[in-house]
Order: sequence, then C-alpha cells, then structure tokens
Amino acid sequence: MKTRILGFVALAAVIGAAINGLFLVPADLNQGDAQRIMYVHVASAWIAYASFGVTALAGLGYLIWRDLRLDALALAGAEVGVMFTAFAIWGGMMWGRPVWGVYWQWEDPRLTTTALLLALYVGYLLLRRLTDDPARRAARAAVVGLIAAVDIPIVHFSVIWWRGLHQGPTIGDPSKILHPSAPLLFVMALLAMLGAFTLVWVYLLIRRYQLARLDWQREDDVRRGRVEAARHVIVGATGAEEPAG
Amino acid sequence: MPQTTIYVAPRLAGTLGTIPPAVATVELARLFGRSAALAGISLTVEMGRTVALLGPNGAGKTTLLRILATAIRPSYGSLSIDGIDALREPELVRGRAVYLPHATGHYDDLTADENLRFAATMFGWGQGESAEVCREALETVGLSEASGGRVGTFSAGMRKRLALARVLIARPSLLLLDEPHAALDGEGMALVDRLLGLWKEAGVTVMVASHQAERVTSLADATVRLEGGLLAEVSGAGVSAGPVGASQRPRMAVAGMDR
Amino acid sequence: MNDLRRGLAVALAIARKDAISELRGRQAAGSTLFFAALVLLLFGFALGPDAQRLADAAPGLLWLAIVFGGLLTVARLHQLEADDGAFEQLALYPIDRRAIYAGKALAGAAAMLVLGALLVPVVAILYAIPIGAAWLPLLVAVVLGAIGFAAVGTAYAGLTVRMRAREVMLPLLMLPVVAPLLLAAVQATSAALSGDPLGELGSWLQLLAAFDVIMLVVGAGTYAFLLED
Repeated sequence: MKTRILGFVALAAVIGAAINGLFLVPADLNQGDAQRIMYVHVASAWIAYASFGVTALAGLGYLIWRDLRLDALALAGAEVGVMFTAFAIWGGMMWGRPVWGVYWQWEDPRLTTTALLLALYVGYLLLRRLTDDPARRAARAAVVGLIAAVDIPIVHFSVIWWRGLHQGPTIGDPSKILHPSAPLLFVMALLAMLGAFTLVWVYLLIRRYQLARLDWQREDDVRRGRVEAARHVIVGATGAEEPAG
Repeated sequence: MPQTTIYVAPRLAGTLGTIPPAVATVELARLFGRSAALAGISLTVEMGRTVALLGPNGAGKTTLLRILATAIRPSYGSLSIDGIDALREPELVRGRAVYLPHATGHYDDLTADENLRFAATMFGWGQGESAEVCREALETVGLSEASGGRVGTFSAGMRKRLALARVLIARPSLLLLDEPHAALDGEGMALVDRLLGLWKEAGVTVMVASHQAERVTSLADATVRLEGGLLAEVSGAGVSAGPVGASQRPRMAVAGMDR
Repeated sequence: MNDLRRGLAVALAIARKDAISELRGRQAAGSTLFFAALVLLLFGFALGPDAQRLADAAPGLLWLAIVFGGLLTVARLHQLEADDGAFEQLALYPIDRRAIYAGKALAGAAAMLVLGALLVPVVAILYAIPIGAAWLPLLVAVVLGAIGFAAVGTAYAGLTVRMRAREVMLPLLMLPVVAPLLLAAVQATSAALSGDPLGELGSWLQLLAAFDVIMLVVGAGTYAFLLED
C-alpha cells in the first residue's frame, strides 16, 4: 500500500518536474530549447550510477552474509539501472545532435563513461542469465558487480584527462549546467527533476525487488518439489519398506 | 613390500572431550538443473570407520562424496565433518577431507614427479621433506621408474596410481574415494586393497564408492547403499541413518530465504 | 608472517607450474603470439597504406593486439586446470585461495609481458616507428598494462572457465573493464614515442599503476567466491 502511494507521488513529481523543465523555465541563451534535455539526461545519469552502486553494495553484502535477498536487491538495481542508463545515453545523444551537430562525442566524459556503464550492466545481466544455480549466480554476479563498480571511477578520471589534453569544446559543454554560475532557475529545475527521478527509481527498485523475491520463492518451491518427488519415487518402488532418511 | 607411511590429520577435540563423528549430515539434498541427485540424506559416520558406498549408476554416490569433500555445496541440508560445520567453515575442512575423484586432476604437461611435488607443496610439505615424501609415495604405487615421464603420456592405470600417490602424501582424517579400483589391473587393485587396510589401521575414516562390491564390503566396517538419491540401506558398525521418515516433509533450510 | 610465507610459496608454486606448462604445452603460447602479430598485420591492410596514418594509429593498434592476445592467454591459463578436473583439486587443497589468485595472476602477467615485449618490435617494423630512447618508458607501460590485464583477466577467467558460452563471456565481461587500461596504456605509449611533449607520461603511468593495485586487491578478495560451487 505504501509503495503504491509512492508510485503515485513519483508519477506526479515527474509530471511536475517535466512541466517545469519544458515550459516554465526559460530556454538557454546558447543552446536554446535543446538544453532542456539536460535536466533529464543529467538526472538519469546520476540515478544510473546510484543504481549501480546499489548493485555493487548489495553484491558485496551477499558475499559477506550469503543472504539471497541481497542478491535480489542487486538484480533489481541492475535492471532498473540499465533502463536509466539507456535513457541517459539516449538523452545525451538527442542533446548532442542539435548542439554539437553530431550524436556522439568521445571527449564528453559523461557520455563515454555512461556508455561503458551500459556495457558493464549488460554483461552483468547476461552473466546472471547464463548461470542456473542460484548460489553460484549470486556469487558470480557479486564479483562482476564489484569489479565493475571500482572500474567506473577509473574510467571517469581517465576520460577527463583524455579530454583535458585535447582541449574539448567549451560551447555545448553539458557540465555547464552544474557550473556555479549557472542561473538559479536552471539548477532548481535540475534538482526538481533529480528528486522526481529519485522517487521513480526507489519505486521501481522496490517493485523489482519484490518481484525478484517472488521469483526466487517460486524457483525454490519448484526445486524443493523436485527433491520431494525424488523421495516419493523410492517409497513407491519399494512399497512397504520406507527408506531410512 | 615398499615402506608406506600413512600421514593422518591431528584429532580435533569435540565438545566435553567427546570425539565428534567424522561425518554427520542432515537432509542433504542437491539439484542439478531439473534432477535431484541427492534427495535428502541423513547419515552419521563414526570416526575411524571404513564405509563402503554402494549403489547403481546415478544413485548419487559421486555427488555425496563431492559434497562431503566440500567440492560442491548442497542445495539443501547441513553437514559437519569432524564436528566442523562444513557449510560455514569449509576452509577448516579442506586438508582434513581428501578426495579422490573419477577425473584424476593431473597436469598433462608436467611429469609425474613434478605433479606430485606440486601437490606436496599444496598440502603444506616443506621443500626439504617433500622430496622424500614423494619418493616414498611413488615407490608405493609403483611409479618410481615412470616418475620422469609426462603425465600426458600415461595410461589410465598409471594416472590412477599417481592420484593414489597424491592421496598418500596428504594428511587426511577423512578419505573420500570415488571408484579407486577403476582403470587398475589386478596388481593395482591389490594395491588399493592394501592401502585401504593401512588407512583403516591408522584410524583414518574412509568412505569408498565402488562397483567392486564384494572387494570393498569385505574390507569395510559398514555398508551404505544409495538408490535414486536416497539411502536404501545402512548396515554395519559405526554408521547410522537419520531419523526423518519419507512421509514427513523435511525441514530444509537455505541461508537467507528461511520461509 | 608464517601464513604470508606459506601463501607466497603456494603462489610461486602455481606460477611456476603454469610457466612450465606454457613452455612445454604444444606451442599454444606461440600460437597466441602469432595470432597477435597477425592482427597487427591485418590492421595494416585495414588502415593502410598511408604510412602517416598507420604511424599515428600505432600505439592504439599495438595495445589492441595485446588485448586480443591477452584474452586468449588468460583463458588458456585457466583452461589448463579445466582439462582433467585439476581445478577442483586445486580448490580443495588446504591453501589460502588468494594465493591461487596471486599465482595465476603472476603467471598471466608474465605471459602478457612476454607477449607485449615481442609485439613492440613487430609494430616498430610494420608501422615504421622508431623506438630509440623510448624503449624504457615503453617497457614500463607494457609491464603495468600486463599486470592490470592479468589482474582482471585472472578473476574473470576463473569465473567463466566452467560457464556455457565462456568463449564469448570472457571478452564480453573483460573489455569494458579494461577500457581505461587500454586508454591509459595507449596514451602513455604515444607520449613515450613522441618524446612526451606535454609531460603527461608520468600521469598515465600512475593511472595504470592505480588500476593495477585496485584490480589486484579486488581480484584477490573475490577470487575465493568464484571457486565455490
């Protein structure tokens, strides 16, 4: 029930932030209306990273405590996160086309790092899909999640240095929106969108986690059922004699 | 008869000075995909006993041995080796429980001697002693002359002998042998029988799965027969089956998702 | 302290065993080297014949060849264990599993160092790159790159060795993770070859070293969980 309320609140927040970002906030002088995409692009990207953080930490938790609920949380973080990542990249490309003239720019650290984040997520999810045994799946996923998580900051730094060497373009710099001198209205719009996205993220995480737990319980029921079935085969075959244990 | 030294792991003290059972399992079950290789094994084996593990192919003998060796985890159930909770602290069990599998696990590009010396280092033998220990083991299994040859060129019987040599340089308290007689000729099988006798004398607990039923049962204290992943028969000294009847749904617990 | 010494002995024994296997093992290592050189040749066909374009691309092409060869190398080192069920035996010895990781990573790094070092003259010839005084920083870059790649590769090879679709899963998992390693190594190589006009060589080498340390720590810490079944 509480989650459902959260869902409605999140939906309302997103609609509100979207109206704000699209119509209420003035357009950027240089980039025009295209700059409005930044509110969504930057917010998505931040959520995408946060979600991966959840996956990595939940995986670490699983390795320490062997609690499969943590693995379910890691899975939720990865699936929800991959959505936000794809969305962030799409937003970045949509923004890039009118502003840069091209869909992709290597020297934009956020875009390149986010693309790599997507690759890491996809690898993580594929790995999970290819492993049947629940405990093994959880352990392997946790390891991959951790390695990928420590990799991301390294990627980020290396791409920034890369760009620094080649004097990237200052017009059409997506991080301009975070600059201290950015107009207050822009920053507020971004924060509003970020807040709304966070609500959506938490809602989706909870739902996906609940689903993962249900899936696991169903899988566990099936597995126990199979063990049960094996027991009754023997009893049936030998009739009166009950096997010890 | 070459000299054969049997090395045994130091005894662990149980609670209140009692000797813990070598093996104690409760409702051990293991699934592979759709099939249940083990469907709930509750078994207790006293320390120092030699147990023959019998049953048709697919009955679960290998799976049981592998779980006892901590090579794989059970899907459900609990297990203790020498009183150690094997699921919580498997690293304490390793070295005490030594496993001889079907696949001999050698490095084909290395010589028999190099393989064994490597195993000696892994088992904790220092540089000085390992040469002597390996030499003696190779002599016992009859591979002294072939020790400089690459294992890749060995016959199945020779590989088995080398695997036995590896077991000899371990310091186990529990030995898990999966078809030790397989691939061996008459002389080789007699060697295995002799070693089984030596291990029994030394007080090592041995669980040996074998198709050579008569050979093994004559040497064993007890017999455990598996069928379809369950205990079909438990007889002899020092072993007992668990209390749960097939009619009761067993209490199967898995960490983290207790229902 | 005793534990550390024992762990070191175990790691060295494993690395030594792998090295002997590599040297004796039916030319598998040589084939990998030849494959990597072939890749460099093919790049020439793909990007040539303009000598300047090839010379500009040379650092990147060198490291791509090292990466491709490296994927084969780390996979092979774990395949050594899978063949006769030796991996299971290895996992059952009373040893610290971090030592297994250390030994395999050491063997992997050594193999890749040899690979990289031998590919440098190939690049120098095919793309007409004079090495000269740059050989020392180049060597350092290759050493650091080899260690980093082996650090990640050992963990992921251990993870995938018993998986289905392992031939594709290993590169699929590894390539995104080693992207910054590739970037830094190429930049360092490029800087070294051009005499380091911007003074960036040191920074890139430091980034490589940081990558190495971080990945070695995470790899060693998590490898044990990959051996359980």
